[in-house]
Amino acid sequence: MKIKSLISFLAIAIFAAIIPSFAADKVVKVGVLHSLSGTMAISETSLRDVLLFAFDEINKSGGVLGHKIEPIVVDGASNWPLFAEKAKELLEVHKVPVVFGCWTSVSRKSVLPVFEKNNGLLFYAVQYEGEELSPNIFYTAEAVNQQATPAVDYLLEMGRKKFYLLGSDYVYPQTTNLILLEYLLSKGIPIENIGGGLRKDSKGNVISAGKYVPFGHTDFQQIVAEIKQFAASGDACVINTINGDSNVPFFKEFAASGLTAEECPVVSLSLSEDEFRSLPTKDLVGHLGAWAYFMSLDTPENKKFKENFFEWLKTANVPGIERQNRVTCSPMVLSYSSVYLWKAAVEKAGSFEVDKVRAALESGEITFLGPNGLNTMLKNHHTKKNVYIGETKADGQFKILRQFEQVVPEPFLKGTFLKK
Amino acid sequence: MAQLIINSFLKLFSYFAQFNYYFLSHRSLVLSSLLLFVLVFQLYASSDDQLRQSSARSAILKAILAPEEKQPELVEALAQNLHPVLGPILEAWQKGDLFILDLNGKLTPVIRLPDSQLQLVENAQSLPIAQLPENARPLETTGKLRRAMRIILDQLALADPSPEIRENAVLKLGMRQNLQSLPILERLKEQEEHPKVKIAILDAISLINLNSPDTTTKIKALSHFEARAPIFARDSIQKILADSSISPAVRDAANKAMKAIERRIFWTDFFGTVFRGISLGSVLLVVAIGLAITFGLMGIINMAHGEIMIIGGYTVFVVQCLFGTGLALAPFGFSFNLPGLGLDPASNLYQAYFLISLPIAFLISAIVGLILERGIIQFLYQRPLETLLATWGISLILQQLFRLIFGPANIPVTAPAWLTGSYVVEGVIMNYNRIFVIFAAFVILVATWLLLARTPLGLLIRAVIQDRSTAACMGVSTGKVNSLTFAFGSGLAGVAGALLALLGNIGPSTGQTYIVDAFMVVVLGGVGNLAGTVLSALGIGTLDQILQISLRNPVIGKVLVLVGIILFLQWKPSGLFTIRSRSLDEG
Repeated sequence: MKIKSLISFLAIAIFAAIIPSFAADKVVKVGVLHSLSGTMAISETSLRDVLLFAFDEINKSGGVLGHKIEPIVVDGASNWPLFAEKAKELLEVHKVPVVFGCWTSVSRKSVLPVFEKNNGLLFYAVQYEGEELSPNIFYTAEAVNQQATPAVDYLLEMGRKKFYLLGSDYVYPQTTNLILLEYLLSKGIPIENIGGGLRKDSKGNVISAGKYVPFGHTDFQQIVAEIKQFAASGDACVINTINGDSNVPFFKEFAASGLTAEECPVVSLSLSEDEFRSLPTKDLVGHLGAWAYFMSLDTPENKKFKENFFEWLKTANVPGIERQNRVTCSPMVLSYSSVYLWKAAVEKAGSFEVDKVRAALESGEITFLGPNGLNTMLKNHHTKKNVYIGETKADGQFKILRQFEQVVPEPFLKGTFLKK
Repeated sequence: MAQLIINSFLKLFSYFAQFNYYFLSHRSLVLSSLLLFVLVFQLYASSDDQLRQSSARSAILKAILAPEEKQPELVEALAQNLHPVLGPILEAWQKGDLFILDLNGKLTPVIRLPDSQLQLVENAQSLPIAQLPENARPLETTGKLRRAMRIILDQLALADPSPEIRENAVLKLGMRQNLQSLPILERLKEQEEHPKVKIAILDAISLINLNSPDTTTKIKALSHFEARAPIFARDSIQKILADSSISPAVRDAANKAMKAIERRIFWTDFFGTVFRGISLGSVLLVVAIGLAITFGLMGIINMAHGEIMIIGGYTVFVVQCLFGTGLALAPFGFSFNLPGLGLDPASNLYQAYFLISLPIAFLISAIVGLILERGIIQFLYQRPLETLLATWGISLILQQLFRLIFGPANIPVTAPAWLTGSYVVEGVIMNYNRIFVIFAAFVILVATWLLLARTPLGLLIRAVIQDRSTAACMGVSTGKVNSLTFAFGSGLAGVAGALLALLGNIGPSTGQTYIVDAFMVVVLGGVGNLAGTVLSALGIGTLDQILQISLRNPVIGKVLVLVGIILFLQWKPSGLFTIRSRSLDEG
């Protein structure tokens, strides 16, 4: 009797010890580093939302390698040095094996040394200027040859011969326009057909191409008058890399001056569906956009993604989350895809260790069929994917005009076109 | 009424510049387009036309159903069957609105019209199916195909009933500079009735002749451009000048034509810069004039000026929504709907919403200003620096309120139709909304001056500003006068915000963009001096535009303006420091 009760006691004790280890799932902490306050919050909060949605979706279907994802969300507050500090906190205090984050190029440049020093892993999902390849960063969004040069290809197809380059004064537009200048010259466009002005250094090398305005610029009268003269001889177009708010006065002035999308289309590389929530689209109708994803994309994957995401938004337990008038856009979908690319790489490597996951990602075998189509991670840390050209509609959506199938990314483009 | 005001304003401007020509040609434009419409209508009615229409339709049907690699060729062949019905079909194809449906086992191409109606390509009949089947995919296009379509569409545009479209199409053909197009243009020259299109045809012929191997034809074309000096010919003439093998006579003619065009561009730029300078100056003036009263005259350093301005912008938005389909708001978590009047956007009443919202913006901002003055600022007249801190705090509170009520995103204010578009004189673009702002700035200025100089209230305001205690001794209720003055200044800020909604963004933090400019204008003009404010606003505006065009760089232009202002204030600091208002005298 005594032995029996002892055995039963032991059995219960063993059970009690085992059950919690079954019930309490293993977790893996994952970093989310975006600006949730400050000027960039309006764009970056959407990326946080879609990342949390991806984590919930993965957790529901069993997690990664049997681990539930536990997101550690930190706020970069649109403050670039703070981004580096927060990255350090994620890597050194929370010891996360992966971070999804950053929007502006300057925030990425500021966290880059932190990731390299701590051998961290960052997935960056916003279109950028290229000319960078860190062993610790994977760039899942559009490289210049997956957005700007396909846009130019499309415009050349449409018989455009004169290109006016216009952007906000910072690293992404400046670098992109320099690459575009080389690309256009290599396509046989004479230099006098490239508008906006060139700046040369003392040796005569072009150091800046196109017209630049400061952030928050509101007076576009002069620039539009210049474009009007530029477009007078026909077949002209504008490549616009202006960021944020300044687009509204630009397009208002552009429309008022009598320039139409038919006569001189503007292709905007920084305006997606998410930006259109806060921009009056009336003056943009007919102008173009180039992205790796449009919300109007008609595929079963996109349909499912949109349905699930909007369903999730209704009940999501995130303080201050916006539930109404939400849209999806390229940076959001590429953020979502990068979570699944990471998951696939972890499962292939069988481990969360950064070196092993990196090796798996670099193998070229990691793919994800996402809402934007097929994404394949290549050895150069960028993804091969489709590129779409769309026309803005009055409801802030894009009508897809042209699709470039599976464009191979190339981060280092400067100086490559003219040699060929 | 607004139309009338703008029209008379425009007329004044045009007399000033002696451009009666425009109005004359306008009348003939209407007449000749009527004539053409009749002609086209007759064409349609004839049975010959029906025959050509059906052959055009069957030709494009063949192209649509052909294998992809053959399509470009077949589309180009449509040139032999040109007919206006091809235009909408090709455009639909290009834009992804062409579908091939399987109707009773027969592949049937249909196009989707803008109102999402479906139409058969074969005979333009509407389909009874209201919606496209789920699996319908638009017919793809390739780059080569789209180029072929472009060529056909351009040819169709040459026979378009609208003279503007014809004019553009003719010039486009000219700019291609293809000598083979000459016979087409010569034929069009004979048929064309419309004077503007006729000129365009002559320009196009000359453009093509620039490419001619014959030197005399070339020189003749160049002298045509020397007389006409159109900006669009610049590129082609530049190309001739860049060629080193041309004869001296051609070079001479090209140089002359180039000089004429450059002279034209110089004057266009000159008058354009003057207009843009006045326009930017008047924007600065409307932004600063409210501050010139609250800060300049009363000496209140009002950091919330920008936010009071934006209240005006939001007022326009609310009025616009109330005139239209209503507005859903969710402040502090309560959501409610404001019902709209549901007016037709094309109706005159709806179009007047902007004019109606101006006085409302004035009133609402003035009331907010009154509350601020009575609630906070009146206790701080002795302590100007604390006013600065308090109003800064108020500005933050107001920004957050905007966010809570209207959301963090910018709100879309659409300018009424009569304020969109532009008036173009000899290449100088004058947007209607900018002309309206210049006009409004003038009205506001005159009204303010009249109020201060010609009314009993103005007298009291000036008395209190000069010496508060003496005014109080004479029986002036200084507190009341202060409140009214501050409310008036705030109201003017509201009107400024309403006007800014025409030009750019309205959002929670938009006020911050303008507050620096506003203080800059008032300080530079000399605090307490309305005429100085006007002068400095126009001065900064014009200087900014001149620097922009001469440096070709807005960033450096803006920096230089700021440096210039700093240097100016170093030289003449009186603008900044002799604040002749009682608050600092007493403090």
